[in-house]
Order: sequence, then structure tokens, then C-alpha cells
Amino acid sequence: MWKMQFYRKVDKAQRMKNMKVKDFIVMRRRRIGIALMFFLFAHSSFAQYPTYKAVSDLTAFKKQFSTESAKVSSINSTFVQEKILTALTEKITSEGKFWFKRSNKVKIEYTKPFRYVMTMNGDKMKVKDDQKESTINVKSNKLFQQINRIMVDCVQGTILDSKDFTSKVFENDKTYLLEMTPSSKSLREFFQTIVLVVEKKDYTVKSIEMNEPSGDKTVISFFNKKINESIGDEVFAL
Amino acid sequence: MNQLVMRYLLFSACLVALIGCASDYQFLQKTADDISCADKIKPTHLSTAWYTTSVDVYDKHISGLLLIKNMPDSSVRVVFTNEAGVTFFDFGFLLDGTFKVYSIVSQLKKKAVIQTLRKDFELILGIPFRQGMIERWEGNEQVFFGVKQKKETAYFITSKDCASLRNIELGSMRKRKVSVQVVGSYPSPEGFEITHLLFDMKLKLTYLLKE
Repeated sequence: MWKMQFYRKVDKAQRMKNMKVKDFIVMRRRRIGIALMFFLFAHSSFAQYPTYKAVSDLTAFKKQFSTESAKVSSINSTFVQEKILTALTEKITSEGKFWFKRSNKVKIEYTKPFRYVMTMNGDKMKVKDDQKESTINVKSNKLFQQINRIMVDCVQGTILDSKDFTSKVFENDKTYLLEMTPSSKSLREFFQTIVLVVEKKDYTVKSIEMNEPSGDKTVISFFNKKINESIGDEVFAL
Repeated sequence: MNQLVMRYLLFSACLVALIGCASDYQFLQKTADDISCADKIKPTHLSTAWYTTSVDVYDKHISGLLLIKNMPDSSVRVVFTNEAGVTFFDFGFLLDGTFKVYSIVSQLKKKAVIQTLRKDFELILGIPFRQGMIERWEGNEQVFFGVKQKKETAYFITSKDCASLRNIELGSMRKRKVSVQVVGSYPSPEGFEITHLLFDMKLKLTYLLKE
């Protein structure tokens, strides 16, 4: 009898000892977790854009961005667009040509692997796909009006003045990174953020990344940029 | 004279009513089952692919890219984006028959729109033909294989020699509702033309060869 009681006591003591070890491990893990979360939170912006640091004088940057961009009267370039469906691990790459002429004239022509042309000229917009060609009065559709405005503001360098977004600006040696978060509900439905990468050498847009609330994103990268070369108005004919 | 006019009007009204009630499927004769032909041509699986897609509803036209993707859990995802990359909707067709809307833009977020698109995609994915008894009818040199749904019947149609799949169709007891013309053959067709026969809506999907 006394033996059984003795063993019970020993067993209980052993279990208590084990519990203490387990509790200690759990507590230590929690502390490390909290410290890690705090660290990640404090560095979230930089973790997102690891090679960039925040621009200290935003007002001076805005002024300079606007001034330098105003010197660009036309852009003629090619582009590559990647649409990434994150959850589905799918990607589709398309490419085409891009034209911009100050002010309010933008044409985007997809040539591979499908044909699609979108021309914006003032308040009018023409869309042409394989099946149909249609002209839209941008003024009659608020969403088209906003998207049209974003496109033109991005290229003209006036996007930081836009009331449609709140912006954060970062920089590295060669580029500025503008992270824009939509203010209006209608735009937030389509975009969580729009990230513009701007070349420091000529203040032209290097890439546009459109991040959707679902986690999917579209990245448009511009190549072979010809700045301020003559582009005829007929390119933007509607 | 008045009586004659009245009789004529009554006769015309009856004729219109009779024509209106006539079934679109009255030419079909029920026949014995033909499991080997049904199994050979029934559309039950589509390979993962991108399609250029246009949707015309009355006078409205939208175009974009449609992804049909087979997922590792055997569900199928159908995602429609515009050419510039903005996602319009993302639907899931689960293995147990459940339908899930992962995302849809507010402009399309209407029960009637979602249900219409759901039925259209279920037809091309061959979901109605995966379960249920397949019956056989013949008429106009065509063979109809049909699976009865709650209020409708989903058909896949072939020639008498069972050479290839010609059409997919959805109809009620009397009316043809949706006709799907399949270009090429399953599981990797070159395209689809989905025509709604009771209202003005057409979807055209063309297989997109990625370069």
C-alpha cells in the first residue's frame, strides 16, 4: 500500500515538473512571437519594399516630380503586362505598344497574345477588340472617368495631387516608388494599392503595379521609351 | 359581318396560343439508351486554358480574358478579367456540386446575372452530365442525350453516327433556353458560342494560344 502511495507521489511530481517545462517553452515561444510581430509591424513598409527608404521631404518631392514630369510632352514605348492570379498560381503575359501625348491623349495597343486597343483622347475613349469597336463618352461613366484620370495622371506626373489616392513615397538609387491607396469606395473595389516606379533620370514611369483586394496583381513594365519625339494626332484618332 | 370578324379573331387567337404552346422539342422521339455513344461524346472535362471572351447583353458589350482552371482539389475555377487585368469575377465549381463566388465586381453582383453565368459555365464544364440518368431522344437526324435537372433538361447533341459532339443545350419542358456551339472537341475545344434564346445575350469564347 505504502509503495503505491509512494509511486503516485513520484508520478505526480514528475508530471508537475513536465508541466513546468512545457509552460516555460510555450511562454518563451509566445514572447518570441510577440517580439517578431512587433518587429515586422515596425518595419512593414520597408519589408514590403526592401531596397527602398521613405522620402523625407514629400512636399519638395511632389514639386520636383510635377516640374520634371511637365517637361515630358510625349512618350512612345513598348510594354509587357503580367497578370498574376496568386491563389490560382496562374500568370498571363501580354505585350504591346504605348503612346502618350500631352495633354490627355493616351493609346494602349495590345498585340500579343490577343489584339485590343484602348484610345483616350480628352473626354472620349475608344475601345476596339476582335469583335467590336465602341466609343465611350468618359464623362457619362464615373468609373471610366476615374480610370481615365488615373492613367493620364500617372503619365503626366500629377498623380500625387489626385484626390482619389493617399500616397507614400520611397526611393532608392535609381527610382522612386509611389504607393497609392484609393480613397473612394468605387476604386477600392478594384485596387488595394497602385504602385508606380518612376525613373530618377527622367521622371518617367518605369512600371505600374495594380494590386487587387483579392491578392491578384497586374504589373505593366515599359521598355524602349522614346521621350518627346513627335507623335501625330492621328495616332489618337477616335 | 361583325360575327365573322369575331370568329376570325377568335380563330387567330387560338392559333397563336397553340403555336405559342408548341414545344421546341416536339420533334424528338424517346429511344432506348445508348451508353457507349453517350460515354464517348459527353462533355465532362475541360483542360485548363485561357480564352479571349466577349459578352453581348442587349446593346452592351464587354470583352476580356477568361481562365478555366482545374484545381488540385478537383474543383474548377472560372475567372474573367478585362484585357488590362482588372478581375470582374472569380467563380468556383466544387466537386460536390457546390457553386462559390470568390469575387465579383458590384456592377455584376446581381442574383440573376450570377445564376445565368453559373448555368452557362456549368453547361460548358459538363457538370449536369456528371451525375444523373442520361436519356436518349432522336429527331431531325440528331441524337439528343439529356439529363433532367430541377425544372430544365441539359442536353448534349450528336449526329446519328455518334461521330462528334455538335451542341450543348439547356431547355425547359417546351422551350430551348441556351444553345452552346462547340468549336473543336473536348477536352481542349477551340471555342464556344453560348446563345441565350429567350433574351438577347451571347458569349463567345476563343481559345487563347499563349506565346
